[in-house]
Amino acid sequence: MSRAVSLERSPRIVEDRVLLGVVIFIASESVFFLAIVLAYVAYRDAGLATAKANLDVGRTAIFSIALFASSGTMAIAGRTRSRAWLAATMILGAIFLAGQGSEYARLLSEGIGPGSALFGTTFFTLTGLHGIHVLAGLVALAALFTAHLGRARAVGAVAWDAVSLYWHFVDAVWVVVFSVVYIGTLL
Amino acid sequence: MTAIPLWVRRPAAERVGWLRTVDHKEIGVLYIGMGVAFFALGGLEALLLRAQLATPEATLVDPETFNQAFTVHGVTMILLAVVPLLVGFANYMVPLMIGAPDVAFPRLNALSFWLSLVGGIVLYFSFLAGGAPDTGWFSYAPLSERAFAPGTGVDYYILGLAVNGAGTIIGAINLAVTILLMRCPGMAISRVPLFVWMTLVTSVLILGAYPALTAALVMLLVDRQLGGHFFDPAGGGQAVLWQHLFWFFGHPEVYIMVLPAMGMISEVIPVFSRKPIFGYGFVAGSSVAIAFLSFGVWAHHMFAVGLGDTENAIFGATSMLIAIPTGVKVFNWIATMVGGRLRMTTAMLFAVGFIAMFVIGGLSGVSLAVVPIDLAVTDSYYVVAHLHYVLFGGTMLGIFAGAYYWFPKMTGRLLSERLGRWHFWLTFAGFNLTFLPQHWLGAAGMPRRVFTYAASTGWGPLNFISTIGAAILAVAMVVFFVNLFRSLRSGEIAGDDPWDAFTLEWSTTSPPPPENFASIPAVTGRRPLWDRKHPEARDKR
Amino acid sequence: MRPPADAIGTLALIVGVIASVIFIGVEAALVYAIWRYRASRQFAGEAATFERNRRLEIAWTAAPALILAVVFVLTLGTMAEINGAGVTPAMRIAATGHQWWWEFGYGGTKTANELHIPVATPIDLDLTSADVIHSFWVPELGPKMDMLPGTVNHLRLFARRAGSYDGQCAEFCGIEHAWMRIRVVVQSQAEFDSWLAAQNLPVASPGGDGERVFLSNICVNCHTIRGTAAAGTAGPDLTHVASRATIGAGVLPNDVARMRAWLADPQRYKPGSLMPSVPLSDADLDALAAYLGALK
Repeated sequence: MSRAVSLERSPRIVEDRVLLGVVIFIASESVFFLAIVLAYVAYRDAGLATAKANLDVGRTAIFSIALFASSGTMAIAGRTRSRAWLAATMILGAIFLAGQGSEYARLLSEGIGPGSALFGTTFFTLTGLHGIHVLAGLVALAALFTAHLGRARAVGAVAWDAVSLYWHFVDAVWVVVFSVVYIGTLL
Repeated sequence: MTAIPLWVRRPAAERVGWLRTVDHKEIGVLYIGMGVAFFALGGLEALLLRAQLATPEATLVDPETFNQAFTVHGVTMILLAVVPLLVGFANYMVPLMIGAPDVAFPRLNALSFWLSLVGGIVLYFSFLAGGAPDTGWFSYAPLSERAFAPGTGVDYYILGLAVNGAGTIIGAINLAVTILLMRCPGMAISRVPLFVWMTLVTSVLILGAYPALTAALVMLLVDRQLGGHFFDPAGGGQAVLWQHLFWFFGHPEVYIMVLPAMGMISEVIPVFSRKPIFGYGFVAGSSVAIAFLSFGVWAHHMFAVGLGDTENAIFGATSMLIAIPTGVKVFNWIATMVGGRLRMTTAMLFAVGFIAMFVIGGLSGVSLAVVPIDLAVTDSYYVVAHLHYVLFGGTMLGIFAGAYYWFPKMTGRLLSERLGRWHFWLTFAGFNLTFLPQHWLGAAGMPRRVFTYAASTGWGPLNFISTIGAAILAVAMVVFFVNLFRSLRSGEIAGDDPWDAFTLEWSTTSPPPPENFASIPAVTGRRPLWDRKHPEARDKR
Repeated sequence: MRPPADAIGTLALIVGVIASVIFIGVEAALVYAIWRYRASRQFAGEAATFERNRRLEIAWTAAPALILAVVFVLTLGTMAEINGAGVTPAMRIAATGHQWWWEFGYGGTKTANELHIPVATPIDLDLTSADVIHSFWVPELGPKMDMLPGTVNHLRLFARRAGSYDGQCAEFCGIEHAWMRIRVVVQSQAEFDSWLAAQNLPVASPGGDGERVFLSNICVNCHTIRGTAAAGTAGPDLTHVASRATIGAGVLPNDVARMRAWLADPQRYKPGSLMPSVPLSDADLDALAAYLGALK
C-alpha cells in the first residue's frame, strides 16, 4: 500500500515524501559543512599569509563559473527532462572537478598539503569534502542519465527534482566555500 | 501454544529473510535485538570496571585493558545500546501509532539498521585488531592524536562512529518524513501520541547534532592519517576545537537518549492511570523548547577548560534554562496519576521508577549548571553518578517500561508480571546502591576514568558498596533475560489490547499483520482507541 | 579573601538545601499519588478526566524559573569571588602537566609533583601542558582547572590552614592518569621561605659514586640535577628529589629502599610511564638510590 503511493508526484513539495527527505538530508549536510567552515574561519588568520601567496583566485573563479553554470543547465534539464541538458550539467561539473584537481596538483607540488601547515589542513579538508560531494552528485546525475537510456521516462519525475535539489545544494556550498576561502584572501 | 514467537511467521506472499526485510516492524525488532546484545556487552564491560575498582590498588585488570573497557563501555551504551533500542521501538511503533502502513522509505530503513550495526561491529573488531580505542568515549584531542594514541584503536573509533552515525542520520530522516507526511486521516500533529512527538523532536535533534560529530571525526582522521593540525597546538591548531564540536553533538545526544524514553512513559502512565496525559500541550511544547535550547548549552561540559567567566556564565544560564522544560514534565506525569485508578503493572512500576530516578539525576544536573559547583565536581564520580541517574535511572527504566508495555503487541505474548516485579525491584535496589555512593566519591575527590586509587584516599568502602550494587544489577538483568526468553516461548497470550489502552497500535492484532491495519482508521482525538471504546466519553481534542 | 573552597561550599550548601526540598517534595508527591490512587484501594467511581490546567502549568513553570534565577545571581557572585576578583596574588607559580607528572616552576627553580605554598596567601597558578590535556584538582583547596597545551589557564589558590592536601589529575590523560597525584604542602611564610631557599640551591658536586652512575647512564637525557651536567627536561627535576614525599607522582612513598626498587624497574610500579627500565648492577643501584636519597 505505502510502496505504491510513495513516489507519486505532487505539486506541493511538502506533500512529497521524497523531496521532503532530500530537503531534510540537505539540511543535515549543511550542518556538517557549517562545522567545517567554522573550523576554517577559526583558523583563517593563522593561514592567511599562505592562502594569499598560493591561491589563484582568478583561475578558480573560472572553474567556479562552470559549476554555477551547471546549476543553470540542471534547472533547465529538470524542467524539460532533457538528457542533453543533463549531459551539459555533468560536463560542467566534471570541468569544475578537473579544475579543483589541477589546483590540488599545483599546491601539492609546492609542498602545501593537508599535513604541511594549518592552512593546508583546513583548505584541503574543506574543499576536499566539497569535491567528494560534487563527485557524489556526478554519480547521481549519471544514474539519472543512464536510467533514461533504456526506456524514455522510466524514472518518476520526482527523481529529477531530487537530484536537482542536491546539485543546487552542492553549488550553494561552493558559493560559501569560494567566498570564505578565495575571496577572503582579497580582503 | 507454539514455541516459535508469533512474529517469526510471515504470510507466504512476503517470504523474505530477516536479512533482507524492509518491514518497519521487523527492522524494529532487529534494532532492539542489536540494542539488547550491545547492552549485555556494555554491562559486562561495566562489571569489569566495577570489579577492578571494588578495592584500592587492585590488580585484577591492567591499566590499558581498563582504559579500553571504559572507552568501549561508554560508546557501547550510548550509541550501540540505548540509541538502537529507542530507534527500534520508534521504528516498530510510530507507523502503528499514526495509522500508517510503514515508514516513508522502507529500504532506506533497512540500510540505516545495517549501517548502525556495522558501525558497532567495526568498533568491536578493534579488540582483535591491535586494541580497542582507549581515550574515553569522548576521545579528547590531543590524547586521541597519533602522537599520543599511536595504535589503530582511535581509527576504529572514528570509522565505527562515522558509519553508525550515518545509519542514525538516515533513520532520523525516515522517521521525520513518516511522522510529517504519513499520518492517517484526522490525525493532526496536535493529536499524535506523545511518543510520536518525542520521536519527531528527537529526529530533528539527530539531524542537527550528528553531522557535527561527523565533522569532528573527519577532522581527527585528517589529523591522524594525513598529518593535519586541526587539534594539534604545535601546528597551530587548538585542542579545544574538538571539545566544542564534540559537545555540540554530545549535549543534544543526551536529549536524543532521554526524550523518546519520556515519550514511552507518557504512553504508559496514562494507560495505567486510566486518564489522559495531563497537559499534552505543555509536554509536547516543552520537548520543542528542549530541542532548541539543547543546541545552546554544550559548553557546560567545558566549564573547567578555561573559556572565561563570560562564556561560562552564558552557558550556565542556558543550562539552567533547559532544566525548566525538562523538569516540569515530572509534574505533568504526577498530575496524570492524581485522580486516576492506578494499575501498578511492571510497565507502570518502571515508569514511576523513571520519574523517581530522573528527579535525582535532574537535580544533580542542575547543580552542575552552577559553574562554581561544576568546577569542584566535574570530571569526577559526581558526574558519573549524575549521568547514570539520567541515562540508566531515566532512559533505561523508561525503555524497560516500554518493553513490558509493548512486548505483547510485538510478540502476541505477555512478559511475566511476577518475574517483572523481581526485575524491577532488583534493578531499583542495585542501581541506587551502585550510583548513589558515587556522588560522595566525586565530591570527595575521586576523578573519572581511573583504573585504581590509592588506599590512603579512603575511597575503598564506597567503591566496594558500588560494586555490590553492580552485582545486584547483573542479577536483575539475568532475571529480565530469563523473563524475555521464557515469555517468547510460552508467555500468556496477549490478544489485541491486553492493557485496555488508548492509541492506535492496540487496535490491530498482536503482532500486527504486514500491512499493519486491515483498514486505515480515521481519528477524531488524541486517544483514538479510547474514543472507539467509549463513544459517549470521547476526547474533545 | 575567602578560600575558594569555602565560597563554593557555601553555594553548594544553598543549592543542596533547595535541591533537597524539591527532592523530598516531588518524591513524596509521587509516592502519595501511587498510594492514594492505586486501583486496589476500595473507592467508588471512575478515574477523573481532567487533563489540563493552564494556570497550574504556568505556575509550576514559573516557580522553578524564579528559583533558578536567584541561584544564577548567587552563582555570578561566587564565580567572581573564586577567581580572586580585586585581590592581587602575592606570587605566581608555573604549573605544567606532563604525562604523568607535575612540573612546578618558582621563577627559574623547578620542582615536581609536590607544590609548596605559604598559608593565607593568594597564589595564582599559571597552568599549561607539555603534551595532552590534564587538570589540576586539589578538592580541599578549591575548584579544578584544565591544563591545555598551547594555552595558559589560571587558578587562584588560597589556603586557610597549614597542612598537607592531596589531589590528582582530573582529565583523562592516558594510561597512568590514575597515578598523577598532587601533594600541596601549605606552610607558614617562614617555613615556605626556607623551603624555597633550599630548593633554589644547586647540589654540591662532585657527589660520589651515585652521581657517576647518574651521569653515565641515560638518566641525563630526561632529568635535571642543578649543579651537575644533567639538564634533561622530559622528566621531573631531581635536584631536591629527596625533599618530596612520594615517588612517581604518588605511586610509592619516597625512601631509599623504595627509590632503589623504583630505579630497578619503574615499569613494575607505573606500567606505561615514560621512564624506561634501565638494567643496572646491584652496586650501581645501591649507589644511585643513596645519592638520590641524599638530595634533600
